[in-house]
Amino acid sequence: MDPKKILINYAHHQAGHCESGATSNLFGFYGHDLSEPMAFGIGNGLYFSYIPFLKVQYAPMISFRNLPNVVFKRSADYLGIDATIIKKFKEPKAAMLALDRNLEKGIPTGMQVGCFNLTFFPPEYRMHYNMHNIVCFGKEGDIYHISDTVMETPQTLTYEDLVRVRYAKGPFAPNGKMYWINSIPKELDIKSAVKKGISKTVYEMTKIPFPLIGVRGLRWMAKDLKKWPVKHGYEKASFYLGQILRMNEDFGTGGAGFRYIYGSFLKESGELFNNPELLETSDMMGKTANKWREFTYIGARNCRNRSKPEEDYSMLGNMLGEIASMEENVYKKLDKILL
Amino acid sequence: MDTVKEEKTETGGEEQPYHYNRELFYSFDKEKGYSQRVDYMIPENQTIIRQQWDLVEERLKGIRYLVTSGKRSPIAWYMEKALMEIPMLAGYMEMSAWRIRWHITPMGFKQLKPRILEKYAALFGITVEALKHPDLENNLR
Repeated sequence: MDPKKILINYAHHQAGHCESGATSNLFGFYGHDLSEPMAFGIGNGLYFSYIPFLKVQYAPMISFRNLPNVVFKRSADYLGIDATIIKKFKEPKAAMLALDRNLEKGIPTGMQVGCFNLTFFPPEYRMHYNMHNIVCFGKEGDIYHISDTVMETPQTLTYEDLVRVRYAKGPFAPNGKMYWINSIPKELDIKSAVKKGISKTVYEMTKIPFPLIGVRGLRWMAKDLKKWPVKHGYEKASFYLGQILRMNEDFGTGGAGFRYIYGSFLKESGELFNNPELLETSDMMGKTANKWREFTYIGARNCRNRSKPEEDYSMLGNMLGEIASMEENVYKKLDKILL
Repeated sequence: MDTVKEEKTETGGEEQPYHYNRELFYSFDKEKGYSQRVDYMIPENQTIIRQQWDLVEERLKGIRYLVTSGKRSPIAWYMEKALMEIPMLAGYMEMSAWRIRWHITPMGFKQLKPRILEKYAALFGITVEALKHPDLENNLR
């Protein structure tokens, strides 16, 4: 390793969600102040999928976010930014060399990593979760400076640790994926990007012709939730319920399964367009998010007393159904608004 | 720099389990609108994370019994300890899942070549000796 010291003047701002935070920070580095909710909304971070026949960590796969790297890719596309995404490096050495070359050129580089070997994470969060994003902005000998938007301050990782997290295995393995911005135009057409972002999110949440994605997936899950205690017993039902809550409230969602962040995005874009209808949808989204919070409070009580649940599962299922209807109203309204 | 962080984990890890890192949370209020605040996790969230770790410990108990009674090889113990499942371990070892299933049985473990044993040991961050004679009392992390 060469002991050369490189430190890019990259501002670390904490954010609710790892990828939209990284995207917003990267844009900020090139002189465009795009807030985290804006990056999240334009990049279609909002999503829902429930896949009961695929088990992750012994529970059905539930996701409140889009596939990894969608936020960065789509927000760069919609805003007309020249960005490079390298999906896969076969050799870890080549991946690290590409990172070093970028740092020498003074380009902060985002990477998809797995959480299990991230040494700066609190031990409780070190699960095999491969959709985390970090930005590397400096190097001293074999120590890399890392900006992880979930953490309060910038962190460091050694060369070996960085290779290990970039080549984590399992579902959605990162395979050394990295991305960076080449150049940004001086004027960004945020308005048209917001339009594209909203219509794409509405499509993904309500119109995909598959019953396990979007609002329909939410309804399906609500229906299944009522059956879990009979089908699997209280212990397992409570673990499955816990999985919904973990995906909903865990590390790096900004709370309530990204619904708060999306509501902030609607509010910001409502102010941008000066559109009262959009502001109204943002309020509706906020109420939905508060309902999700309530669901977490009640669900967590069930998880604490596993064999003797305090609340009925059918009540929780009805609550989820209600949330699904509330969300559907938001998307329907968004669909009708002409921007 | 690394040592400072480790100290922080140890002191903060034992006494106050989740008071390690403050995160950014969004919230919504009907009158005030959206706001952001940097805070520790809400207690409800800590309950559900605890639930997952309790389950991992329970599974470890089961595996400990299977290993001591000679129905599984130590690889099963270390795999469970690293929170891995067979397909994931297969990915790390660059082998097919069927070979991993064979290595998890005591019979398959006995026939392992030193080269593969070393590969397993390097993956789990232990010596080959520790892989052959695991310390089954040692709990998570």
